[in-house]
Amino acid sequence: MVAVWLAAHNTLTFMERVMTKAVWSGVLTAAAVVLFSSPASAQVTAGATVTVSATVSAKAKLTVGSASVTFNDADPDVTPLLTATGAVSLDVKARTGSASNVTLTVQADGPLTNTASDTIPISNLTWTATGTNFVAGTMGATASSLGSWTGGGNYAGSHTYRLVNSWTYTTGTYTAIITYTLTAP
Amino acid sequence: MLVSRRLLVTVIAWAIAAPVARASAQAATATLSADVSTIAKLTVSTASASFPDADPDAVPQIPTSGGPVLITAKSRGQPGMQVVLTVQAADDLRSGVNVISASHITWTATGAGFVAGTLSTQSPVTIATWTGSGVRSGSQQLYLRNLWTHPTGTYTVSLLYTLSAP
Repeated sequence: MVAVWLAAHNTLTFMERVMTKAVWSGVLTAAAVVLFSSPASAQVTAGATVTVSATVSAKAKLTVGSASVTFNDADPDVTPLLTATGAVSLDVKARTGSASNVTLTVQADGPLTNTASDTIPISNLTWTATGTNFVAGTMGATASSLGSWTGGGNYAGSHTYRLVNSWTYTTGTYTAIITYTLTAP
Repeated sequence: MLVSRRLLVTVIAWAIAAPVARASAQAATATLSADVSTIAKLTVSTASASFPDADPDAVPQIPTSGGPVLITAKSRGQPGMQVVLTVQAADDLRSGVNVISASHITWTATGAGFVAGTLSTQSPVTIATWTGSGVRSGSQQLYLRNLWTHPTGTYTVSLLYTLSAP
């Protein structure tokens, strides 16, 4: 009886081992096929757009090289036309429309006047000029053109004042205020 | 003797017929798969940027108001792949008939892989390059060259950013 029971028990144990092995084999097989696949892929792109704006406003900047101009006294027969002691440099910077006119003018506040109120006509004061679009002229009590340009940019030049030297002038030290005006519409 | 044989047969029969009380199992397989594809995603912090007016003598290079553009680039692909971020101007800056060349816009940049550059309408210009997958962030500060010769007006242009992941 015992031998039979043992035989039966051993058979059961053997079969149990076979089945357990089969279960684990199945589990391992299932585990083995859990994969990440990374298939071959074409290039991808991502995009974005930014709209950029810029504000460009009109500007005008004028630099005059000297705040004063002096004429030295001279014999009218020798020097009928006095030349100022130095040229006045001019630096014009303007930003405007591409077809707009930039203008530089000069204007006197009145005749040259001394402390005794004697006067020399302001039209006796003239100038010559150098630099692109700078022009010669005669001073007046209204604006006179010194330079003009089309469109914005940086323009440099100079002008030299001349004064008629006459025997009819009353002695004294004469002055006048000259105003320069740069306009960039 | 008859009793013993019966008992033996009974035991044998029982041994054959009795079910296995412990572990009973069947093997089966299941196949699982997950696709990991190449992906590219680009985020910029703003859809618009503006250059204010300024004195060309005082501010020769005008920065955009509002600070730099913040950029985040996300990409996934093959190991060792070259990821490239570029920008191209759709046109020059225009205000009616007036034009300012797009090349008057430049930028500086911060962040790993980001580089400075000059805008172009002709071809994309590289802002940044990286190798492999990842998330990268940086910033781009735009500048406009400020000249007296620029005609007055309000100019606009579109900048096209492209992130490429092979």
